[in-house]
Amino acid sequence: MPTVIVDGQEIEIGADERLNCIEAARRAGKEIPHYCWHPGLSVVASCRMCLIETGQRDAATGKVTMVPKLVPGCQTPAKDGTVIVTDSQLVKDSRARVEEALLIDHPIDCPICDKAGECLLQDYHFEHGQAERRADLQPFTSRRRDVGPTVTLFVDRCIMCTRCVRFTREVSGTSELMVTSRGAKEEIDVFPGHPLDNKLSGNVVDLCPVGALGDKDFLYQQRVWFLKREANVCGGCAAGCSIHTEHNQDTVYRLKPRENPHVNKWWICDDGRYGWHHLHDSARLLEAGHREAAAGSHRGHAPVFAPVEWADVVTRLRADLKQAGRLAVAVSPMLTVEEAWMLCAIARSIDPEAFLAAGFVPHVGEDETFPGGFTIRAEKCPNRRGVEEVLSLYGAGGRSWQDLVKHVAAGQADAAWITAGYPAPWIDDAAAAAFSDLRCLVVQDLFDSPLTRHATWRLPAAGFAERAGTWVNVAHRAQSFRQAIRAPAGVWPEGRLYWNMLGRRGLYDPVAVRHQIAESSASFAALAGEMPAVGVDLRIHQLA
Amino acid sequence: MTSSTPVLLEAVGVPDGHTLASYRSRGGYAPLEKILAEKQPGDVVEMVKSSGLRGRGGAGFSTGLKWTFLPKDHPGPIYLCINADESEPGTFNNRILMEDDPHQVIEGIILSAYATKASTAYIYLRYEYPQSWNRLQAAIDEAYAAGYLGKGIRGTNFSLDIYLHRGAAAYICGEETGLIESLEGKRAWPRIKPPFPAIEGLFRKPTVVNNIETMACVAQIARRGVEWFKSIGVPADPNNPRDPGSYGPKLYCLSGHVEKPGCYEAPLGITARQLIDEHGGGVWKGRRAKAVIPGGISMGLMTESELDTPLDFAGPGKVGCLGLGTAAVVVIDETVSIVDFLHNSCRFFAHESCGQCTPCREGTSWSLRMLERIRAGKGRLKDLDLLLELGQTMGMMPGSTICGLADGAAWPIKNAIKKFRGEFEDYIKRTNPSGWMVTDPVPALQIVGAH
Amino acid sequence: MIAPRKVLTDEMVAKIEALAPRYPNRRALTLPALHIVNAELRHVPLEAVVEIAALLGLAPAEVQDTLTFYQFFHQEKPHGKVRAFVCRSVSCALRGGEQVLEHLCHKAGIQPYGTTADGELTVEPAECLGACDFAPCILANDDLLKNLTPEAAEAALLRKPRS
Repeated sequence: MPTVIVDGQEIEIGADERLNCIEAARRAGKEIPHYCWHPGLSVVASCRMCLIETGQRDAATGKVTMVPKLVPGCQTPAKDGTVIVTDSQLVKDSRARVEEALLIDHPIDCPICDKAGECLLQDYHFEHGQAERRADLQPFTSRRRDVGPTVTLFVDRCIMCTRCVRFTREVSGTSELMVTSRGAKEEIDVFPGHPLDNKLSGNVVDLCPVGALGDKDFLYQQRVWFLKREANVCGGCAAGCSIHTEHNQDTVYRLKPRENPHVNKWWICDDGRYGWHHLHDSARLLEAGHREAAAGSHRGHAPVFAPVEWADVVTRLRADLKQAGRLAVAVSPMLTVEEAWMLCAIARSIDPEAFLAAGFVPHVGEDETFPGGFTIRAEKCPNRRGVEEVLSLYGAGGRSWQDLVKHVAAGQADAAWITAGYPAPWIDDAAAAAFSDLRCLVVQDLFDSPLTRHATWRLPAAGFAERAGTWVNVAHRAQSFRQAIRAPAGVWPEGRLYWNMLGRRGLYDPVAVRHQIAESSASFAALAGEMPAVGVDLRIHQLA
Repeated sequence: MTSSTPVLLEAVGVPDGHTLASYRSRGGYAPLEKILAEKQPGDVVEMVKSSGLRGRGGAGFSTGLKWTFLPKDHPGPIYLCINADESEPGTFNNRILMEDDPHQVIEGIILSAYATKASTAYIYLRYEYPQSWNRLQAAIDEAYAAGYLGKGIRGTNFSLDIYLHRGAAAYICGEETGLIESLEGKRAWPRIKPPFPAIEGLFRKPTVVNNIETMACVAQIARRGVEWFKSIGVPADPNNPRDPGSYGPKLYCLSGHVEKPGCYEAPLGITARQLIDEHGGGVWKGRRAKAVIPGGISMGLMTESELDTPLDFAGPGKVGCLGLGTAAVVVIDETVSIVDFLHNSCRFFAHESCGQCTPCREGTSWSLRMLERIRAGKGRLKDLDLLLELGQTMGMMPGSTICGLADGAAWPIKNAIKKFRGEFEDYIKRTNPSGWMVTDPVPALQIVGAH
Repeated sequence: MIAPRKVLTDEMVAKIEALAPRYPNRRALTLPALHIVNAELRHVPLEAVVEIAALLGLAPAEVQDTLTFYQFFHQEKPHGKVRAFVCRSVSCALRGGEQVLEHLCHKAGIQPYGTTADGELTVEPAECLGACDFAPCILANDDLLKNLTPEAAEAALLRKPRS
């Protein structure tokens, strides 16, 4: 195995790995500061923050020959015998000088800068900078200009790392951003009339190591040190991008991509990034309700729902459905594998012949692939694969929402339990009409819809950040996550309801359910044990 | 012996010397025809390599060796870029060659393309040379008409097109990878190396970038032979294995405070004093030189007492200068304030820094800002140490930048402050009697017209 | 948005296209195209950038990125019929280049980089024009004005008969 020597410490790297010195040093626990380098973008080696000393150790003699000058760690490959020095005085002085240079024209308006607290310029200054300012002082203001509908630029905070420009040229392929002028007068800009407006725009804000690019959706909403983050999965489409949900006191403030080489690399799309506002929509269903039998509450006409305590829902719902007769259940692709599995179990315990099918699968447009390889899926739900796999465990593989609608329309069901949980309107009056004549209709959704007009039971659903469990994306990758925020008061996430309806004790434990599923089926065997942060490919275990 | 008959400049002063007829009458293109008929490309590489020709653009790298870095048996295309972005302050030798003897340059390009198996050559010509553009284009047209360019040159399989490509006033385009980026239609941000242009250059293909004067030298080596070339100049230092010698004639540009500014051809190794006195008619107005730039402003400064330094590739380095550079000698007489000189230098580099690497972008700008403040009577002695630190830490040599522009910015700062520190200190104390000793940060001046 | 108006003439486009065979890709035509437009219009307005970008298959920001780097092409309005680059680099500065620049601007009543009200003359400071043997010098369009004094520069550029 190739050996790299980092500050005297020998570490082994993979024989086929192509690492630069930043990556190799990181393996040895040494962080080499850097601005312009990003693993998802081309190497420009221009910020010069990652300058280190390197050399080569002769395999035969063990003699080390050092390069007689500093080199950029980002641009220098780590190979067998590469010697990396990250802590010499020369390196430290060099970092201090780059920090000093970057701060010459920086406005240092940290108190009003959104990036403060997660700013590399700040962090590196504390760690590598010098205490005294030696440069001529500049006024503490930064010009602001919009570069697009979602992104704003604080011009003078920019350190010209050009990550954002490279992103629009290499990943989104839209090339809206540019560098203008040259030398110390350089600025980032867009061409007049051609704003930064593509579905990956928000990533430039994540890429910006300083407070130059701001996300208008987040701007001045929250200081970042108040935010807590939870590793989640985006529910916006079938891609299942790994994200961090950043929240404070059960309020989500922003979503950030979470690196996952198997799924989304370092990026997410803007649909996903801003696709959390529905969580805090005042129109959300916030209590379990049973249709009032009283006058004026006819099916399909502005029904009135009487609130029901959740403990009563657990018992009454089961009884209601049992009494109604033949049951049909739509298992929403917004549910987790665990929730889907428990729902199917409940359904079959109520009616052993229950007709199970996948819930409605929303589609918008076509799959959209960007030059850098990132794909936004037309299928706007996160867990169709997982739900279908669960259904086949229950002998209902391949059954779709359309099959269920036909089944109900043909009068083959007396009761239906429709799980939904879609952030956007998904069913119209005509489609909902098929469910108007059931003895009992249970609808579990985020918002009122034409379908809830026919509902006997109207149950609130959880939003994506309020769920815990596992989703399986379009490429059969299963990712497990915990809930980031609590559902609004009055809402039981589906998992909690099903757990209780199955008579299980204590708090809902999605990990226990996942292990149970993994044990009971070959197709979910990969879900056993601890789930890696990047998830697992369900098919790999099947093949093995 | 410095007054030999000019070779590279043989056409200067010759009526219609820039025409094909004149060039042929002086023996031009005959060597090309002979080589195309009798020699293989490898022979030409060998010829240039053994001549000891070092690139005339500034870095002084062996031309023949550079050619051998091209991949062997490459399917092509291989590109030849001719660097005619001559922008180093004080330098105009390429302009003279292009205006007065363009065919000499073109013959050199054809020979070099033959040697490197390039079938396309781009001459990247700076915008400021309209006359060179016209003369070169006319000469290229003549060469096509005479069958020296185009398909199947002189009945061989060798084909070559030469295209002129015009710059737009950016010094950094003289850096070979900046030139390549500019030619490709982008901002001229120098590339990181490796890959070197010989492996992956213009349009991601193997590329050689050579200077105009280098091309003229190739033509003359073909005409007069390797022995002739090696008989001129300074042989390799036997005590220094890394010195390949400085062979051949060189065009020295003499300007500034001399009686007769001009471009003079002399053997490599002539001293600055010989050049000034024997060719330039001495320092103007009977004055003394205070300092002399040995090879374009980025090479730094020699003091009057260092003027006997030989201007070969190794000479200027021995007195603390960056090198021979473009061999553009600029004389600064005793009446000039060294503060003003350094301000001029810093302004140039702040204006021309491409802005890619932090140390150069900010360092050139900060040094200009300090010089402006010093000249505005708000200098501090501490500024001199700061300037010196900037000078010592920015550049390709300490490793803090991608290209050598910052080294060029640094050298005048280092040389001026080290060699003329007393004058700087006097200036600062005189102009800022109450604040010269202050060490606290000072407010920046409003930026004044620095474009 | 940039109003869709046609700035590039058929003739300019033909000139640009004539150069296309010289390069293996169209992006390399950026500088030639900018020069062709600038030679005609004495500036390269934003509309022209959009049209050049479309012609070369680039985003406008890519062309503008290149254009602004060189700081050579005016964009807001045309430069004067005569564009005078006054050298201020070391060799010319040593022989009075700065004074030539100052005098010329003063007499023309403009700031450096400015254009006279009649649109005749633009005066721009320039870095080394590569004519140090004739310092101080000015490049006025294609003419090199050599060995100038402030007065000689004024005579050459401000007192010559207008056509």
